[in-house]
Amino acid sequence: MFVKNTLLAAAVTLAASAALHAQTQTLEGISRVSRTAIEPVYAGNEVKGYVSYTKGDKADRKNDNYLLDFYDQDLNKVSNITLQKPAGKYFLLRNAFNGSAFAMYYYNMKEKTLELETYDTSLKKLGFKAIGDLNKADMMAMQQSFATQGNDQEAGGGMMGGLTLFPVPNFGFVRNSYEGMMRGFNLQMYDDKLTPRWRLSSDPKSKFYESINMTQATDKYILATIMRRDGMMSKKINAYMVAIESATGKKVFDMPVETTNTEQLSLSSFTFDPVKREFIAVGEFYKLNDKPFVNKSQGFFIKRFSEAGKPVAVKNYGWHNEVAAALPAEARQSVEDGFVNYTQSIMRGSNGNTYIVAEQYKVVGDGLGIAMAALGGGTSVSKGKIANMLVFSLDPEYKLNSIKFYPKDPSVAYVPPGAGLMGTGLLGMYFRQSGQFDYQFTQKNDANSQFNVVYINYDKEKGEATKKVIGNVAFGDNGQFKLDKIDGTSNATASFLYPAKPGYVMLVDYLKKEKKIGMKLVKLNI
Amino acid sequence: MRLLFLLSLVGSMLATPALAQQAPYLPFYSPDTVRVHQMAVEHRAAVQKYLVTPKSVSGEYKDHYKRIAQEAATDVYNTVRYSALVDPVLNPYVQGVFAQIRKANPQLAAVQLVLSRNPEPNAHAVGNSTVMLNVGLLGRLENESQLAYVLCHELAHIQCAHMERGLRSQLTKIHSKEVRKEVKRIVADEYNISSKLKALALGLSLNSTFHHRKYEKQADSLGYALLKRTSFDTKQAYRVLQLLDKIDQPLSPEPLAFGQYFGCANFPYPLAEAPAKPKSIFTVAAPTKTVLETTDTLKSHPDCAKRMRYLKELAQGQITDAPTAPTPEFARIVSLSRLESVQSWFDYDCYDHALFEALQLLHDEPQNAYLRSVVTLSLFEMREHLLKHDFYEVVGNVSKHHPENFNQMLTTLYAWKADDYKGLLACFAQNGAAPAVPADEYALAANYAAAALAGEPTAATLKQQYQSRYQDGKFAKLLFPKPVVSGKKSIR
Repeated sequence: MFVKNTLLAAAVTLAASAALHAQTQTLEGISRVSRTAIEPVYAGNEVKGYVSYTKGDKADRKNDNYLLDFYDQDLNKVSNITLQKPAGKYFLLRNAFNGSAFAMYYYNMKEKTLELETYDTSLKKLGFKAIGDLNKADMMAMQQSFATQGNDQEAGGGMMGGLTLFPVPNFGFVRNSYEGMMRGFNLQMYDDKLTPRWRLSSDPKSKFYESINMTQATDKYILATIMRRDGMMSKKINAYMVAIESATGKKVFDMPVETTNTEQLSLSSFTFDPVKREFIAVGEFYKLNDKPFVNKSQGFFIKRFSEAGKPVAVKNYGWHNEVAAALPAEARQSVEDGFVNYTQSIMRGSNGNTYIVAEQYKVVGDGLGIAMAALGGGTSVSKGKIANMLVFSLDPEYKLNSIKFYPKDPSVAYVPPGAGLMGTGLLGMYFRQSGQFDYQFTQKNDANSQFNVVYINYDKEKGEATKKVIGNVAFGDNGQFKLDKIDGTSNATASFLYPAKPGYVMLVDYLKKEKKIGMKLVKLNI
Repeated sequence: MRLLFLLSLVGSMLATPALAQQAPYLPFYSPDTVRVHQMAVEHRAAVQKYLVTPKSVSGEYKDHYKRIAQEAATDVYNTVRYSALVDPVLNPYVQGVFAQIRKANPQLAAVQLVLSRNPEPNAHAVGNSTVMLNVGLLGRLENESQLAYVLCHELAHIQCAHMERGLRSQLTKIHSKEVRKEVKRIVADEYNISSKLKALALGLSLNSTFHHRKYEKQADSLGYALLKRTSFDTKQAYRVLQLLDKIDQPLSPEPLAFGQYFGCANFPYPLAEAPAKPKSIFTVAAPTKTVLETTDTLKSHPDCAKRMRYLKELAQGQITDAPTAPTPEFARIVSLSRLESVQSWFDYDCYDHALFEALQLLHDEPQNAYLRSVVTLSLFEMREHLLKHDFYEVVGNVSKHHPENFNQMLTTLYAWKADDYKGLLACFAQNGAAPAVPADEYALAANYAAAALAGEPTAATLKQQYQSRYQDGKFAKLLFPKPVVSGKKSIR
């Protein structure tokens, strides 16, 4: 060759040179893969990169080399870190980024410890911490964390167990753990170097079982929801809103979402509006004799509180009243068919609008299951049906502006034997926890002016192969709702869908025969 | 009378090239692939004949050699078959220069020159009988003597049997007792196998780089000797290396004036200000380089500066180190080569490069109908890929290896939305004076694309016109693909 060999000129073929700089990455020599092998790295609302965690070769008699590869939001490889840890017994649970440091949260199965490692933005190691003496509840939560990896920051009623590492900008990271058999909780704040800063625990004298779910880190506070129950199996759940001072770990307030005796409320989201300096609680309301979270709800509510915790306003939106009136004609049939809504995510736009994303579901009797049960089989007599997506839009005065309806082909959800008699609300939570909804995630930009709700529609036409369509419902400050559908059908052995930078989603195809993973950023038409 | 006739004949012959210069040039296209297939078969046979598996070596060495020889033969077939440019202007021109070199150097073996459509500015030698010259390099040279030196350099590689020697030396090293012992030792070690093998491979690759660099020096030197025997200007050899030193830079470093091309009163340009470059949360610094590990060490070619110093010595100071105005004939060759390069980028689905090169050239020739067609067609294709959600396949990523203004363009392309394209193309048409009736295939294809994108009813008529006028048209498959029945399966 004649010309000096720069990186570009070195590309042998044109096709190769085009691929070299495309928003794609190919990882080779991959013999096994799961969705959790790659995780997005968030800074605030936005995906700013990815980290992949893979097991390499043997490091010595007892240890393996584990590789952490970092990519930026455009899939350019940034750097990699090699860890030498117990062979086959070291798992990455979570990653978190708080604006100044990355934290990696591992489970060391050999030592039975949870381990934290932090790095600065140049990926220089800042700190290490091993946490031993894990109780049974922590172990259960750890198992749960594997199941819900990367998806625990969204509204889900705050009852899902799991180990989280909550990033708090300018302060550090908060790690949760459990007391007894999930009787209580502990929150431990570490700074970027993993020096412990404060610890907040549930009151040991409390007669309730308490679980906490951190929802938002504001400039001063960490917001959380606490669920209190009489006993572990109790179905009487009371929701509380909590604000914790990030610097000290002191509770600024801890108050029930129900402010009168005539309310039966659940809580899906608790956030802070920095413009109006108000706390906002969104959840669902129930018949007076029904149990929040457990039974079928009557509608959703929005409650606002001052920074001091005083109630400012409350508004209810009944499914059969306000919501039915705003429901588009095409959505009515599904409501008549008995579908109810599961709230998947709640967002507040920078223009003051509130958006609530819901997915319809219901429980139906399964003919074959009933027959099997009658014959003494252990099969479930019920099955779940997952149906359409809905987006509720409320103006800054909390008037229900519009409801957008996005039909999709119904999919079947598994209901464990006996659970058919569980409350509708509880079953919705079970579907969510077991990953049976078609909803995937919601993406927001940092300005909270653009949102994108991602779901999958499995289009099963008789006599044809199932088509996988990735639906993207985009909305925001421009007032427009747009639906962009991606054909997600592929020849890959497995394909996975991940959040990406605003305006994109990431598709990952795994080709088993070629031992390759292909990562690609798909630009959305929104 | 007879004399007068002869004179007029000579006059008309002289006038023909002048007239040709006036006619708008369109990149060469022929649906007939028989000629390039035959050429490709010949070059493949030549490589197969040349790379004969050595005898007194190990079985593994032989297998490895055979595999590489097979790949090289397939590669040369594919390169010639799919990229040989057998147009009536550029190819005869470069073949003419090549013939002059060979005539002046009768000792050289029978070597054939293939002009390739590849737009990367490069040239290379394959086996003992093929020199490949990329049209992308032709478009970056200043005169015929520079072209002659490029060809002499590649001929020198062939004369010195560099491909064979390089291959053998590399395989001898890989299959040597020491390396095999080392691999065995690493595998037996059981631990950190991957990083140890990587280190070994890096060592082998550096060893090969070292040999390649030695070959480049030889080719520079022998190439210069070959050039000296011709009537070309040997001073230009130095200037070629000087040009290569800056070959990665674009024709102009100025940012592209998108607002000027794609904004107008009816459709204000969608981006009020240039979109910000993506920022990374990572602050990982590039590894610091030691004195021994300069950028030069890992390249297969020595830095141009080193080559230039060497050549200066060789030429005993008889060098040119400043641009010279090209002759009108060569200026035309350069200009046509650049148009061919634009078309190649387009044909390889690199619409970002096609758009960039076309807009750079449009700066000096704002009314060039062909370039305007490429801009329209590139935008049309980009939008198609946006709608199909595989934009990443046709538009690259911002990279430190790209020129600044190219990166700026990429950032802009990523900021444009599918809905913006209608306005962008409407303004682009409005801001240029396109003839009412499309004069050629490119213009007709571009008119169809613009009409189809805007959803105008004329699109159907233009499609019909294109399909009836150009049955085996260059854009037929791209613009009017036949629906494919999908047999893909879905995986949950």
